[in-house]
Amino acid sequence: MLSVVKLLITTFTSVIVSIFLNEMRNLHAKKALQTVIYLPHFMSWAVVASIFSLFLSPSSTGLVNGILRSMGVVGENEYIYFLATSAWWRPIYYVINIWKETGWGTIIFLATLSGINPELYEAADIDGATRGQKIWYVTVPALANTIITVLILNLAKVMNLFESVFVLYNTAVLDVSDVISTYIYRQTFATMNPDYGFTTAVGLFKSLVACVLVLVCNKLSKMTRGRGIV
Amino acid sequence: MAKEKIVAPPRKKKLTAFDVVNYIVFIIIALMIIIPMWKVLVDSLNRYGVYQFRLWPHNPTLEGYLTIIKTARLRRPFMISVVTTILGTFLGLLISTLGGYVLIQFDMPGRNALAYFLLFTLIFQGGMIPDYLVMKSLGLLGSWWVLVIRHGINVYNIVLMRNFFEGIPGSLYEAARIDGCSPMGIFFRIVLPLSKAALASIGLMFAVTIWNDYSTVQIYITNPDNVNFQYKLRQMIMDGDTPTTSYNISQTTLFNAGIIAAILPFMILYPFLQQYFVKGVNIGAVKE
Repeated sequence: MLSVVKLLITTFTSVIVSIFLNEMRNLHAKKALQTVIYLPHFMSWAVVASIFSLFLSPSSTGLVNGILRSMGVVGENEYIYFLATSAWWRPIYYVINIWKETGWGTIIFLATLSGINPELYEAADIDGATRGQKIWYVTVPALANTIITVLILNLAKVMNLFESVFVLYNTAVLDVSDVISTYIYRQTFATMNPDYGFTTAVGLFKSLVACVLVLVCNKLSKMTRGRGIV
Repeated sequence: MAKEKIVAPPRKKKLTAFDVVNYIVFIIIALMIIIPMWKVLVDSLNRYGVYQFRLWPHNPTLEGYLTIIKTARLRRPFMISVVTTILGTFLGLLISTLGGYVLIQFDMPGRNALAYFLLFTLIFQGGMIPDYLVMKSLGLLGSWWVLVIRHGINVYNIVLMRNFFEGIPGSLYEAARIDGCSPMGIFFRIVLPLSKAALASIGLMFAVTIWNDYSTVQIYITNPDNVNFQYKLRQMIMDGDTPTTSYNISQTTLFNAGIIAAILPFMILYPFLQQYFVKGVNIGAVKE
């Protein structure tokens, strides 16, 4: 669930960002922006988690709580412990994912967009299309195929979520953050007498589901664009 | 760049409201990405931690970085990160180029079986625990060699290399063979020199993966002396495990300096190598 929502959100934001990036007329501005928005991708999850936990920290040096305190949203010695509150954890997880991966996700969409035949835009110009109409009737249809491809490719990986959750979760928010890999991890490495048989079985079941997902996605991919992914 | 200018028709229109809004939106997006990084950088130079966002450090000090260099328990993880990244990238490139080269030997008996064997591991994995037990019986638990070996063999990158090699014109191989070149001679004299771009892209992918790896350390490296920097950093910040207590700087300064140290190598390299990073994604995804 967590993984699928994450996938949909980050793909959606990537598409939006790349459409508007494509509308940039100034090539230098576009290059500079691309450089900036790709940056967070090169930070590891451990680093990103560290940055955001410092920002969201309930202590006196936490940025967000500090701002909330100075605006009077929370009292002088109060705080919101964002990463340890069930209601906050998922939204924050999504925001961090957007921050980290949206820029990188645009690469593939921009590659498609640069391949659109400029004659299509010229034809639209002659027909008197506005900027918005050109985006909606030329750019978006051109991307549709790529969007489906990216979703299919990534759908195959939804079971593999581990590191990003592991570095951000804690025992206070297990109810909203636990995924199958973290469950396996805890059952094996955080207990005194690990039952390797049981956790291996859980892991194999996960692999099996993931394998079926890949095969289904491959089939879907063949149906929609005429060739498989594996 | 020059090529793009020729191909694109010169569209000289005046700035519309759309353009203005677009620029503003992107300035906001860029700021959203830069501000957190800038805050971390400034805080790493500040002697005392504050929550406010500052444009420039107040009383700048390099103590945070010096502490990392001077404290053995922080320096060692950093060195382990450097060593594993270099060794792992080297091993990874060696195996993926040789593996990719084997996979394009179409007249080799058993090539198909081998290819399916490799591809199967992409679709179906044994899972975390069997991997762990294998590493355990190999005696690699707790050693930083796990990082090198686990990442050095990457089937996906072997396949990427194979796809790239397939793009080299077959007539070149033929010509070399007629001139009496051995298969290994072809590999070193023709295939590798023609694949510099792919080597750079895939090498960078290996380097980033290994440098940034956290979960491998978490699962396999049970010896606290052999963890890498990413692991140490998270342990320090999120689990509150600080190496010593005698600092003349605040904890926050040290944390932020640690974060900067962890991202610094690629942040320095990245602007120069951006094209290779981007190419790496595109050879994987858009093969058309």
